[in-house]
Amino acid sequence: MNQGGIDGERRAFIAFALTPSLIVLFAVAVLPAIYLVVTSLTPFQLTAPGSATDFGAPLRNYGLLPGDPRFVNSLAVQAKLSFWGVLFQVLLGMLLALLLNVPSRFVEFARTFFLIPMVLPPIVVAVIWKLIYTPDISPLYYAAQALHFTLPALTSSVDFALTAIIIADTWEWLPFTFLMVLAALQTIPDEYSEAALVDGANRLQIFWYVTLPFITPILVISGMFRLIDSVKAFPLIFLLTSGGPGTVTEVTNYYAYLLAFDTNEIGYSSAVTVVMLLLVAGISLGLVWMGRRREAMA
Amino acid sequence: MKNWADQPARAITRRKLLQASATGAALAAFPAPLIAQTKPFAGVTLHGASFQHRFFTLLQKYIPEFEEQTGMKVDLQLSAFPVYNQQANLELSSGGSAYDFVNVTFILAARWVAAGLLANLDEFTGDSNMTPAEWNPKDFVEGAQVPYRDAKGGTYGYSWEGGAMVMGLSRMDLMEKKGLKIPKTFAELQQVCAEINGTDGVNGIVSFQLHHWNLPPYIQGFGGNIFKNPPGDIMPALNKPETIEGIELYARLLKSAPKGVLTYTEDQARQSLLTGRSNIFIHSSAWVTPILLSEESKVKDTSRVVRMPAGPVHDHPASNSQGLGIPKNAKNKKAAWEFIKWALSPDISMRLVKEHGHSSVCRRSIITSDTYRKLNTVNGQDLGALYLEVLELPAKGENYMAYRTVKEFPIVGDVLNKAFEQVATGQLPAKDAMNAAQDQAIAALRRAGTQL
Repeated sequence: MNQGGIDGERRAFIAFALTPSLIVLFAVAVLPAIYLVVTSLTPFQLTAPGSATDFGAPLRNYGLLPGDPRFVNSLAVQAKLSFWGVLFQVLLGMLLALLLNVPSRFVEFARTFFLIPMVLPPIVVAVIWKLIYTPDISPLYYAAQALHFTLPALTSSVDFALTAIIIADTWEWLPFTFLMVLAALQTIPDEYSEAALVDGANRLQIFWYVTLPFITPILVISGMFRLIDSVKAFPLIFLLTSGGPGTVTEVTNYYAYLLAFDTNEIGYSSAVTVVMLLLVAGISLGLVWMGRRREAMA
Repeated sequence: MKNWADQPARAITRRKLLQASATGAALAAFPAPLIAQTKPFAGVTLHGASFQHRFFTLLQKYIPEFEEQTGMKVDLQLSAFPVYNQQANLELSSGGSAYDFVNVTFILAARWVAAGLLANLDEFTGDSNMTPAEWNPKDFVEGAQVPYRDAKGGTYGYSWEGGAMVMGLSRMDLMEKKGLKIPKTFAELQQVCAEINGTDGVNGIVSFQLHHWNLPPYIQGFGGNIFKNPPGDIMPALNKPETIEGIELYARLLKSAPKGVLTYTEDQARQSLLTGRSNIFIHSSAWVTPILLSEESKVKDTSRVVRMPAGPVHDHPASNSQGLGIPKNAKNKKAAWEFIKWALSPDISMRLVKEHGHSSVCRRSIITSDTYRKLNTVNGQDLGALYLEVLELPAKGENYMAYRTVKEFPIVGDVLNKAFEQVATGQLPAKDAMNAAQDQAIAALRRAGTQL
């Protein structure tokens, strides 16, 4: 058999071997996504038999979205949460990684504890912060009271509710960025720092001219991951603020949840979800494109 | 020397023994059909669903008895409130037959009944072979049955839980010290809350985040409503002056509440009352009466449970119920009715009261019984009489709870929730918030296909 034939057989075998996985992937991911999109084209409500197959006005739900002040507000809230949450997680994660990037057995042991928040189930994290933010039982409020400092109920405050969510979200996912940056730091050859030190550079200069360039790619990657994942802050919002007070912390996926579970507007909820997914996908693609462009320019 | 003549005899004996054993086994198998015949539902697996509630937690202790009596196997699926409602909505609206009996959720009952998604239970109660006279459908408190009837008077559910809104006061000692009386009007309520707030570290009042349950009695008290004239006219009425008055009053009351009350859960509010950290809690009796009945209460000696204060125009404390019903397409309707009949029987209801202190049953004969009265009279207070008084109200005169059972309520209720929080946190004045809420409610209803 000639080489062409062998290559053909190999491709056929690979295709055959991948088929089961692709079928599973299609069933688990693609079909639900298709169903979501199809449902978004209907006025489907759980108490309206037949509405699930009503395609008389397929773009009606999407047409209503721009004029829905609550939907628009939820996008703005999500943007704030994502921006500040990711920023703090990346910066604090980097800071923590720099502090703990020390060849010490004790520090290595301590680093393990910093990973705990990330491995806790999200709902457990939410419960922890529920306790912290409940004035009646929170040690935080007892401490403030002991110091004669009046602390508002953060989760009920218009000014602080979203901040409270951001703090909890940062606490939960800080270990992720810490771990990523720490791994990057440990790949930096010592020779570069030593050479800079010999040349008279101070620690700040070493960080800025040696360390930061090395870890920037990983900062971007971890930031991108966190940005995509920031739309999953639902457990915190559900348990801590229920999207309130008013709609101050009502992010888009929480609004979609209310539409689906509280008011049974499955079709409209699906449209909200599709738009959210498109936005997340768009941001992801944009970041990837920026990364590739940066690589090309380098 | 071994006598070989004995061997055949022993071998024969063993064979006979085996034959006898086989015969015995066959004989033992024979009674099985007879046993099965004494249990008419032997082999039937009954599938039911509800949201999680203490009633079902307690009932599950007795289900083995029911299974033994009937031969059924009961598979009861309990889920969180919103999860159950969605599952049930989907199952019923799609004509499914996964469940043989379901909880008929108060806020969904009207639409399920109107859409023909449930079986008419009169078919069972009207048949003396299926329902004995002593079961007495008329024994259920009329007010608790309103949600499960259609326009023609057909019954599609029977209530297992009554929610009668009452007011609990945990620190009568502080009130007496300040010369305050139990408030009977909204104005008096506001005064008491303000004067108690901060005294001895006690909050004047406590509540929880389900504003669209707590608010309407105040709105109706001023003569307003959620809709113009439910169930017939479901135009939202959120921007009416009377509605705004109710919003403003409730917002003022919450200024005497604990920090963070806007995000409080029912459990947090209940705990605040039981520990005496808050003086007043107005909610369904099952959440309030524990200040007198629960071992957890630290304020039994200084507590009172009374009617909610009345508004200047109406006295409409919230009153609701949850029921059991049978999906229209259920596979085992007769078996399902056997379960409902058993679960809501006078016997089980009384046992729940006597053995578990579960007082929110809906049978009048139980509530007015000497046993119930004895168990639910604390510090001279007849809690059962109070509970019954409020539970009956929706069936007297207008059904002022109709706003809650129309299918449009979840949408408008959610808008109301958000608007109130904007008022309570000072984001918007009440008038502005409610005007915006009115527009949002109308837009949301139209989006959902409602004709206004």
